[in-house]
Amino acid sequence: MSEPPVVRTVNLVKIYQNGGVPVPAVRGVDLVVEPGQFVAITGPSGSGKSTLVHMLGGLDPRTSGEIWLDGKRADTMSESAWALLRRRKIGFVFQFFNLVANMTVADNVELPALLAGASARDARERREHLLGALGLTGRADASPAQLAGGEQQRVALARALSNKPSLLLADEPTGNLDSRNTRDVLRLLGEVHRDGQTIVLVTHDARVASMADRVVTLLDGEIVDDGALGTARRRPRGTAGDVVELRG
Amino acid sequence: MSTLRASARWVRADLRARRGQALLTVLAVAGIVTALITAATLLEDGTNPWRGLFTESRGAHVWIHTRDAPQVAALARLRGVARVAGPYRAAPVMLTRDGRRTPVTLRGMEARPPDVAVPLVRAGRWLRQGDGDGVVIERSFAEALGLRVGSSFTVTALNGALHPLTVVGLADTADQGFYPETTPGLAWTLTSTLVRIEPAPGRSEMVTGLRLTDGEDTLPVVHSAVTLLGGQIQRMSTWREVRASMELDNRLLGLLLALFGGVGMVAAALAIANAAGGRVLGQVRDLATLKSLGYTRGQIFCLLMAEHGALGMIGIAAGVVCGQLASSFALRGVPILPLSPVPLMAITAGTAVVVLVAVALPAWRGGRTAPIPAAPAAPLRGHLSHLARLALLVRLPAALVLGTRDAFTRRVPAFLSIFGVALPMMMIVVGLGCWATLDDFLRHPERVGQAAALTVRSDRLPAEDVARVSRADPGVAAVYPGSEVSALEPEQTRSVLVRAIGTSTDPYPFSVAEGRMFAARGEAVAGQGLLDLMGVRIGDRVRMTVGGTPLIVHIVGRVIEPEQDGEVLSLGLDSLAAKDAVPPQFHSLVLKDGADPATVRARLLAASGEALEVRRVVNPADRLSVIRGIIVALIAVLSLLGLANLLTASALGLRDHALDLAVLKALGLTPRQVTLILVTGTGLPAALGVLGGALAGAPLAAGLIELQGRTSGIGAGIGRAPSALTLTLAVLAAIGAALLVALIPARNAARARVPVTAR
Ligand SMILES: Nc1ncnc2c1ncn2[C@@H]1O[C@H](COP(=O)(O)OP(=O)(O)OP(=O)(O)O)[C@@H](O)[C@H]1O
Ligand SMILES: [Mg+2]
Repeated sequence: MSEPPVVRTVNLVKIYQNGGVPVPAVRGVDLVVEPGQFVAITGPSGSGKSTLVHMLGGLDPRTSGEIWLDGKRADTMSESAWALLRRRKIGFVFQFFNLVANMTVADNVELPALLAGASARDARERREHLLGALGLTGRADASPAQLAGGEQQRVALARALSNKPSLLLADEPTGNLDSRNTRDVLRLLGEVHRDGQTIVLVTHDARVASMADRVVTLLDGEIVDDGALGTARRRPRGTAGDVVELRG
Repeated sequence: MSTLRASARWVRADLRARRGQALLTVLAVAGIVTALITAATLLEDGTNPWRGLFTESRGAHVWIHTRDAPQVAALARLRGVARVAGPYRAAPVMLTRDGRRTPVTLRGMEARPPDVAVPLVRAGRWLRQGDGDGVVIERSFAEALGLRVGSSFTVTALNGALHPLTVVGLADTADQGFYPETTPGLAWTLTSTLVRIEPAPGRSEMVTGLRLTDGEDTLPVVHSAVTLLGGQIQRMSTWREVRASMELDNRLLGLLLALFGGVGMVAAALAIANAAGGRVLGQVRDLATLKSLGYTRGQIFCLLMAEHGALGMIGIAAGVVCGQLASSFALRGVPILPLSPVPLMAITAGTAVVVLVAVALPAWRGGRTAPIPAAPAAPLRGHLSHLARLALLVRLPAALVLGTRDAFTRRVPAFLSIFGVALPMMMIVVGLGCWATLDDFLRHPERVGQAAALTVRSDRLPAEDVARVSRADPGVAAVYPGSEVSALEPEQTRSVLVRAIGTSTDPYPFSVAEGRMFAARGEAVAGQGLLDLMGVRIGDRVRMTVGGTPLIVHIVGRVIEPEQDGEVLSLGLDSLAAKDAVPPQFHSLVLKDGADPATVRARLLAASGEALEVRRVVNPADRLSVIRGIIVALIAVLSLLGLANLLTASALGLRDHALDLAVLKALGLTPRQVTLILVTGTGLPAALGVLGGALAGAPLAAGLIELQGRTSGIGAGIGRAPSALTLTLAVLAAIGAALLVALIPARNAARARVPVTAR
């Protein structure tokens, strides 16, 4: 394949120190994500899913091993080089949303676009599109504190997509959503995936995982299963919404 | 560029979310800058009233005294001359009142006040047409003589004729210095009145004032005036002499101002650091999010610097404006000139630097936030629940135990409440120390080297008679003969003042701070400034040329020396060569306790038949009452700061407590017990801070003043710590206020229903 993988990790290890006691969270993960691929990461609680995606986004330094993003070595980069990379290429959805509390929903969503260099107008258009797709048009001027958990999660997703990242890292983006909101989120994810968006998504939800091209299962910080779903089960023509409706 | 737009959004949103707090920060900085500028302006005005008087009266830079009226048109054409005042006729007369005769110069003016060198009427009114016996008197002269508007007296012209005059007004002028430093006193009458009193033109003179376009050109103008008028000129004076004569030795004032400056700057730093620091602490999650979105460490730093720095800068700008306004409305309704540019710049730039440094620390901290927002901190720790169980067993007192335990489990809020309170408290104590030092100056001038309240000298009486008359006065405790000569140190080109007062067996009561008093011929004591200048220490022997005579001086002690930057050597008259010592130039009079210098001065003048020249020694603290107002204002600002800091700390503590509260209530504690826990949690560190601040402040106050004293040449030994009573009261008041401040949010929090979500 001529294009390098978007993500490649080599024997990636993360060991937390918990009061002097080493807590291995990720223990030698080798993962390759090709461009345009939608990878779901599942596993029981505490298996190291969040830790893994945090390391992929440069939010948490790795203990050992290598991280290659777009064919370039990333784990050795400085903190500010990581910041620049995130600004241009990575969108991140946190398990606990992490919206900027003082800013309105609209400002929260526009912020990464502005950071990536978009003009105020482009940022606004992008935000209107994303909030529209997630059914949040009416809440643009609300403050995050006024939103329900599910709404906050959708704003967080809109924010992650606002800089048109080449890699979307999402940590349980549907964890707090009811099935209807989940459907909105999945529809948007499917849409951007069809446009060629590479997605790495952590989830507990088998229905969500089944939407992905590939499901990677972690247990105690190691990959125990890496199953590409059969192409027959992929429905590149169909929308994500169809999938959910079929199964939900 | 892209970050600019994003950052602007963030700053705008942040400021909008905490308008009140931002406003408080701006106000605190503005208050401090206002206080500093007002202090500096008042001090500048107090120590040199000339500048204000000269500007207000559009004074003349040069005064020329001639026998006949000079060529005014030619003078006006001289290069650099803007306007000419006069020529006015002036005649010396003798003013007699209550049997005392005082020489005074009468100057003839018109009913319409002149355009330049205007006498500034401060009481009563200016002369009117037909004021045949009306007179306006220069204010300091009037005060010295006890003349008021409506007082009347007689003047005797040189021909012996008596003329009654009535005071219609008192006026300030920049034409000559204050009485009694400048004699004779000055009074204005209508020219027609003057001609009546002194008809002979030969016994009067003409005075002409030149107002220049630029005061720095005085010397060339003086030269060309001399060339133009030649032998007609009898005497000339320039603004520099007038200014010098009005200037108070302002070393001590400058010293105190510098100290205030320091306190003010620290206060500004505190205000900003605490506001910014508290904010950054409360924002850790948001900052982490910004980082996860692609902000670098440096960009977060710049963002915080810009936001909080801007608040400081706005505060400084507002303070500069308010300071100018405040000082112009401050004193006795007399308008005061705005502060001159150098101190203004120093205050502005100094505060700006302090503000930026103070912001830099929290900004740096904020920049170092890890990009993964910390998971909601585990709210309860093991020992807390242990204690909670204990609390249920022992009931109320346990709330205290819990609060105490709680106060120190979270290090950051504890640190904030302790230091946020301790630093302002320390500064308040320093302010109280300044107050105590001032009091000490006034109550015990002898401790700052001003034992003598009066000096007397005479051209007419022999020295023995001066001493005899002085000793005879019931208010005088001791009389010390003295002389002043200048001395050269061999390698030094600079000359220093040598003051010989008293003798080595009966020395003047100098205030010896180190070593001992001189007790033999050839021994001397010196001010800190002199020791520094010559690089000598107590015990050294120095070869000097004193008044032309070589002398080896043994320096045996250091005295507090408020004059001449401390560059004064003091010794006994018997150490001087006879030609310098006999007769003594003056006598210094130490008064008995409670004797009023003004009364003694009047008695001495009367006893000697006006043959003595009696001067009051100006206590530098006399004009310092202004500073007290400033100390009070500063203490107020500092108290507010301390309380604001406490609020920040307790808000942070409460935020962290939300979950604990839920648990405590679930465990069965009443709202009152919860309040008690919270108050103890905030109040205990605050009380510790108050105590610590007071304990640190007392020696610091004295120490700072000493340091200032040493560097300014006066020498260590003037600093006073506030009295124990003052300290105790201050501490009690501060702790009371702290508990009150902790109580209000705690009560609200204890009553409020507690959210049980993650955020
Ligand atoms: N900051 C940290 N310090 C110490 N240990 C940590 C830290 N963060 C995570 N761990 C540990 O690392 C392991 C993996 O955590 P991680 O958050 O990656 O799990 P997860 O798979 O995301 O779980 P969940 O599904 O509950 O979100 C866990 O055992 C956790 O206790
Ligand atoms: Mg997780």
